[in-house]
Amino acid sequence: MPVHIAGIVVNGVLLGLVYAIAALGLSLVMGVMGIINVAHSAFIMLGSFLALGLLEWAHIDPIASFFLALPIFFALGVATYRLIVTRVERAHQTQGLIAMFGLMVLIENLGTIAWTTDTRVITVGYSNANLMVGSLLIADAPLIAGALALLLIAGFRVFLHATLIGRAIRAMGQNRDAARALGVNVRALSAVMFGLGIASAGSAGVALGMIFPFAPQTQIQWLAWAFLIVVLGGLGRVENTLVSALAVGLIQTAATAFLPFDYVYLILYVALAAMLVVRRQGLRGVVRRAI
Amino acid sequence: MEAARLAVRNLVAGYVPGHPILRGVNLEVAPARITVVLGPNGAGKSTVLKVLAGFLAVQSGSIRLDETEIAGLPAHRHAASGIALLPQGHSVFPDLTVAENVELGGWILRGDRIRLRRAVDAVFARYPNLHPLRDKPAGSLSGGQQRAVEIARLLVADPRVLLIDEPSVGLSPAIATQVYRELVALKAEGRTILLVDQDVRAAIRIADYVYVLNSGRNDVEGDRAAFEGDLGSMVRGWLGV
Repeated sequence: MPVHIAGIVVNGVLLGLVYAIAALGLSLVMGVMGIINVAHSAFIMLGSFLALGLLEWAHIDPIASFFLALPIFFALGVATYRLIVTRVERAHQTQGLIAMFGLMVLIENLGTIAWTTDTRVITVGYSNANLMVGSLLIADAPLIAGALALLLIAGFRVFLHATLIGRAIRAMGQNRDAARALGVNVRALSAVMFGLGIASAGSAGVALGMIFPFAPQTQIQWLAWAFLIVVLGGLGRVENTLVSALAVGLIQTAATAFLPFDYVYLILYVALAAMLVVRRQGLRGVVRRAI
Repeated sequence: MEAARLAVRNLVAGYVPGHPILRGVNLEVAPARITVVLGPNGAGKSTVLKVLAGFLAVQSGSIRLDETEIAGLPAHRHAASGIALLPQGHSVFPDLTVAENVELGGWILRGDRIRLRRAVDAVFARYPNLHPLRDKPAGSLSGGQQRAVEIARLLVADPRVLLIDEPSVGLSPAIATQVYRELVALKAEGRTILLVDQDVRAAIRIADYVYVLNSGRNDVEGDRAAFEGDLGSMVRGWLGV
């Protein structure tokens, strides 16, 4: 394999792994709970700024911030579920969507007030370092972000498949009333699932911030990316999200290598539109519960 | 097993406030007996089970499990107190394996892993036909096998009260007969059973006591013998012919 193709594949896979955790929470919350959380990407943005703040104020490395983000954003997710989602989850789906859209706008605007619209970057020792593997050059930051993402994906997979509470969450997504009949407190488990979704968003924000410049308004791009991955891969399964995110990462990396930069986003947005048309059930068709 | 008694007094409940489906239902579900609730469509039969399982809020009235008032408790508290619901239609978790489905039946035992493991093993020993299917996705099984998984799952937590909603819907007559036979066996173990069924003849055949609801209220009631004689006229009455 020519070296530049190998480089595209390696970088595409690393990027795909990070995209996978950006979309994972959105996919699981939609698949298991039936909630289209359009505010998901706003939490990704908050994750990036958390990493930047911890680095600037406390000299905490983004690798540590990646793990610190998990409990912090889990708590944020549970609070969001209890304060907002529970109030609209039995209402019409449109009402729920509007509530989450409102939350997204609120977080972005608060972010703009706090951090302005200036673009930021996280710079640490390994930000511009590279690793040579044979004649293949791999940037350290995506390598570390990809490895962290892989760890988180594996953690989610193990949690959902190898633990009783994980299986109860999956069961709840397949038949909520049957789970209730077995004594599962679906309200409490929904809070856990929503918290996990936001936790993954926060950590994804840290990982994305290690690779890409960011500003409060860039969250909308991550929302489009996450939706593309979810629509491409389907809902509620870790492995589907991973495969679809890897495809998006590879397409983006290949397009970046062979096409002018502007075309990359065009291709991905066209892919999103095409997938929504091809998968005619769209997002609503697979979302069974209101909000 | 100490058999449980369920007493329902003046139960008012429904889906929309101010428009109750149940308008003062009274039931005495005797310990270790099969109590059957019959009635025409819209009588409120399934609603009774939903309320007793904690799925639907009580607007007024009382539900006592032995001496404990349980009206208004959420569904997971009803399950924890020993009440289990077998919902109408298939309720397996299709993407989970049979073993995972059955294990989730012991959700309320999750604090004691050894007890949970023993309970799951005991259920697979009781239904040996399920053992070879342990690793198959439950959604890939036949209708009869899925019903067997549902009943097995129901028993892991060793419930004292079983709420059974239309157990034979979608099953072949042979499988349905097995299901009713299993309900009789469960009664013999000391479990209290409240059965709602459209298959009037099959339900009365295993009933100890029968209630008929109409428009959300008690209509007639009596033991099995009182109903076996004149089933035809009762059903014709429901149909208005």
